Amino acid sequence: MRSQIIELTNLCYSGAVTEQPAIEVDGLTREFRRGPRAVDAIDLRVSPGEIYGFLGPNGAGKSTTVLMLTTLLPPTSGRATVGGYDIGRQGAQVRASIGAALQEAALDAILTGREHLVLQATLQGLPAAERRRRADQLLARVGLTEAADRRVGGYSGGMKRRLDLALALVHRPRILFLDEPTTGLDPQSRAALWEEVRHLAHDEGITVFLTTQYLEEADVLADRIGIIDHGRIVAEGTPAQLKAEISSPSVEIMPAEEQRSDRLAELLSSFGEPLRDGRGRVTVKLPRGEAQLAEVVRLLDRASLRVQTLQLHQPSLDDVFLAKTGRKLEGALDADSAPGPAGEPPARRRGRRRGR
Amino acid sequence: MRRFLHVTRGVAWRSIHNTVVNPAILVPSIVFPLFFLVAFAGGLSRIAEVPNFHYRPGYTSFQFVFVFLQSAAFGGVFTGFAVARDFDSGFARRLLLSAPHRGGIIAGYVLGALLRWAITGAVVTLAAAIAGMHVYGDGAELVALLGLGVLMNLVAALWACGLAMFLRTEQAGAVIQMPVFVLLFLAPVYVPLSLLTGWIHDVARYNPVTAVLQAARGLLAGSPTELALAFGLLAAGALIFGAFARRGLASAERAG
Repeated sequence: MRSQIIELTNLCYSGAVTEQPAIEVDGLTREFRRGPRAVDAIDLRVSPGEIYGFLGPNGAGKSTTVLMLTTLLPPTSGRATVGGYDIGRQGAQVRASIGAALQEAALDAILTGREHLVLQATLQGLPAAERRRRADQLLARVGLTEAADRRVGGYSGGMKRRLDLALALVHRPRILFLDEPTTGLDPQSRAALWEEVRHLAHDEGITVFLTTQYLEEADVLADRIGIIDHGRIVAEGTPAQLKAEISSPSVEIMPAEEQRSDRLAELLSSFGEPLRDGRGRVTVKLPRGEAQLAEVVRLLDRASLRVQTLQLHQPSLDDVFLAKTGRKLEGALDADSAPGPAGEPPARRRGRRRGR
Repeated sequence: MRRFLHVTRGVAWRSIHNTVVNPAILVPSIVFPLFFLVAFAGGLSRIAEVPNFHYRPGYTSFQFVFVFLQSAAFGGVFTGFAVARDFDSGFARRLLLSAPHRGGIIAGYVLGALLRWAITGAVVTLAAAIAGMHVYGDGAELVALLGLGVLMNLVAALWACGLAMFLRTEQAGAVIQMPVFVLLFLAPVYVPLSLLTGWIHDVARYNPVTAVLQAARGLLAGSPTELALAFGLLAAGALIFGAFARRGLASAERAG
């Protein structure tokens, strides 16, 4: 089934067929001592300019994957290329072609926002004359111009996240890794960051590899999603493909007159088995997708059946997660599965505690 | 090579910047050696009257050389503290991620240590000059003395960086500091080697710091001694601890 999804994806993203993938991963594995495999032989391909959402609960292996792809953690086995460079043998070239904002925005409390950017530009070898200009550009872009000369020790969490994103963009990378970039942000900051990520990918052609535990974030932002659980990719495809694979949308109708509920159910039975609740509401699946909604409306109109409410329900990514793993993603976000340092799996920490 | 130099420059700049703008880092690094100079050269000045104490420039100069080398060594050790702090705070991961050439991270920390010691060394020298230090060495000998200080700083910084990268926690501070402290104070700090007796004499005799200290005192007095041995020991130390620091970096890379 998985290979079918990948083939379908390749058809949808023709770039993946003709161009070299921005990220290509084959059998990538990371084991920690005395722990399970944090990442277990994953394969994935990300096309240039694509936003790839890596969705999964805490401890699923998302951050460990990012650490390996950004050359911060060597894999136990498998191989991967980022920007065409091998992460094991060409680390310097990989780092020169990527930007990354990791889960913890590790900043130096003593440096100002501008100094961080100038330092980053120096590390990346930007010419001296360009360093300040680039810093000013990025500070304006992330809305930190006024706070530019304040020490980041006094920044809010949202400001630190924005600075972290700016730092990742200093050297104009072709590929951007964002590890749970909106965790802890307020809704306004989250929306602003989503907009920026869309702009980076769709207007500037930057490939974005984004990890998240938020269903909504993956759904609205990602062109394609990989769902990871216990170190394995359990599903991959566009949000629409993933949802379509497990279920079809349904329409829920409340008739204007409750006594016409029987007639409504009879009409909708032409689409499938109608389900009724005790208050006259009738729900039926649309086997050929949301395009059938127009047929439903026409049918009701022909039968002169007036409705009070009509709602189309799409299957959610949580439904996909449930179908693939047997549990709800929301339920999987428990504290016990939170990742340890360097994304190490919870089992390792438990083992360590026992060992003490 | 250019990538290496860019990274070196960036890391060294941050090291100096944070020292200069943060009194909590700058003040102790200057006050500590000044205290030693004042306490030893002032409080123990009558040691110069002890029979068989034959150091022509006097006791202040005798102590200055130790404090000069000690400040060089501790300048390197303090860099290890900064490296450990960076690993604890996660900033080291940013450096590992941002540096195309990671060897430049070690070089940057080491260069930062040297530049910070330049401030401390200048203040200590000025204080000793004000306190009446006599100098009999010529220009070349003083440059050689400076060279010993630079190498001492380099060796200590490489040791400290390497260990901090292996341990990657601020709690490494004591482990980084202790061997340097012990080696320094098991050298002939207060009196010449010839005046030491018993086990401390035997230990000091084979302590590599003793050779460096005696060579440095000889240079200040204008009568160089054991120069080749001192430079050889420090060069060997730089090579050994350079390799150690590189392995520490590799360990940090493996740990992620």
